[in-house]
Amino acid sequence: MIEVNNLVKKYSDGVVALRGISFNANERLTSIIGRNGAGKTTLLRILSTQLMPTSGSVTINGIDIIRKPDDIRNKIVSIPQEASPIGVLTAFEQVKLYLVGRRFSYMEATREANRSLNEIGLGDFKNTPTDTLSGGMKRKVFVAMALASNAEIVFLDEPTTGLDPLSRMEVWSAIRQIDSHVILTTHYMEEAMELSDEVFLVDTGNIIEQGTVESLLSKFEGMFRAETTEPCSDCIRVSNTYIRYIKKNKVQEYLEKGFTIKNVTLDDLFISRGVSLES
Amino acid sequence: MNPKFTLLLAWYYGIRTISRGPSYIIAALSTPLALLFLVYVLSDGALVKYALVGGFIAIVASVALQSSGDAAFFRLQLRIQDLYVASSVSPSDYMIGLTLSYLMFSLPGIILYGILGAIYHLFSLFSILMLILVLALLVLSTSSISFIISSSIKHIRNIWGIAGILSVLMTILPPTYYPYESIQRGFLYLLSITPVTPAAVVAQYSFGLSPAMPAELYILIVETVLFFTMARYLTRWREK
Repeated sequence: MIEVNNLVKKYSDGVVALRGISFNANERLTSIIGRNGAGKTTLLRILSTQLMPTSGSVTINGIDIIRKPDDIRNKIVSIPQEASPIGVLTAFEQVKLYLVGRRFSYMEATREANRSLNEIGLGDFKNTPTDTLSGGMKRKVFVAMALASNAEIVFLDEPTTGLDPLSRMEVWSAIRQIDSHVILTTHYMEEAMELSDEVFLVDTGNIIEQGTVESLLSKFEGMFRAETTEPCSDCIRVSNTYIRYIKKNKVQEYLEKGFTIKNVTLDDLFISRGVSLES
Repeated sequence: MNPKFTLLLAWYYGIRTISRGPSYIIAALSTPLALLFLVYVLSDGALVKYALVGGFIAIVASVALQSSGDAAFFRLQLRIQDLYVASSVSPSDYMIGLTLSYLMFSLPGIILYGILGAIYHLFSLFSILMLILVLALLVLSTSSISFIISSSIKHIRNIWGIAGILSVLMTILPPTYYPYESIQRGFLYLLSITPVTPAAVVAQYSFGLSPAMPAELYILIVETVLFFTMARYLTRWREK
């Protein structure tokens, strides 16, 4: 579905955002996770034809999207990071306008906008100007666009950043309703664990790990994360926290030493590599 | 081209916005009406016809120039432009749609000035046709300037000030509210760098207020084509 080869992006100010990334993404829902500034948004903007790479190639469903962006644009939807609807317009108007932009007829756009907004739970608010909607509802307006568009691939750039936990769960539920292939970026590990069939871990412009959540966590099988604020030798330091990975039979021992014990998550793929999740 | 999209954008972001926020109309009308009043008082009514003709020009130009703020806001803050970049909407569709929206914002002012113009017996068939032509060229050229400016802005905090300054410089300094013969020919040509100047000169001639200056019509046409083409290629769409 998506083939990326040796993708490099160097901005005019000298910042190198991508350092020769290569991967294939074929699963229904792929997450690109990494800390802020890791290169996730740059990668997604290139994949969705918003940004030119410095070098490298990208094909989506066999189309070279670097050289022929117009050939893919009617088959994709990209919801930018922190996108917000135009406050004075209603949810229905924005979804309909977007669909007409994608060359739906007025009648088709009206029908599909109504259908998607109802499906996503915004039916009662579809005629309300969006500046009165909550943050989660505003994001759902964009998910409704993706849902109604019948696009083959949907790109979502940090779709739940800044939302409260309940709103995030609502958006996750909306994302699950999208039938198309979805590529999303996030720095919330639980979001990737909740939604993804496949995960790419990105740091400083490189992919450092890839696989299913289960396969990535298998290296920590039977292990726990022990945390303390007291400096300890051979611990990984993340800000003021010191972390060590221990087996189950050591849990009691570490509890008695004053460590806090936690289950391993995708966060630990970064931590175990010494990559701080703080930007 | 996707005319359905441009028309719907104009309808939603023009008419619907006005109906939900009438203060936009008052904001668009306030400066031209205040200047009309000022010109009327200072000239004892002698220059009121110039101010009326100039009012048409100023309303259209100031609304279009201030729209650079909206265009930058859509791109940098709401990220709406990115949404449309990754779709089959072309930069021209987007630009023309927003331009038509701003024309909708200008309509109430145009209607009000039309009523005032009728009271002052300003109109003839020729002047009406010429006014439509001039305003069409003006909205296209000034909106294009707005897009070029909004595209070159990196931080949203800068746009509102720039838009305000441009609006004053480009609508009040040119001969919108005074006869263009009042300034030296060299200075007039210098001011013709903004399409508002040739638009005002052509409008003053069309309404029988000032002598003809055909070169200014050509300047207006050339500038419209030039600014529209520049906007088409300079507007950040797929970024590099």
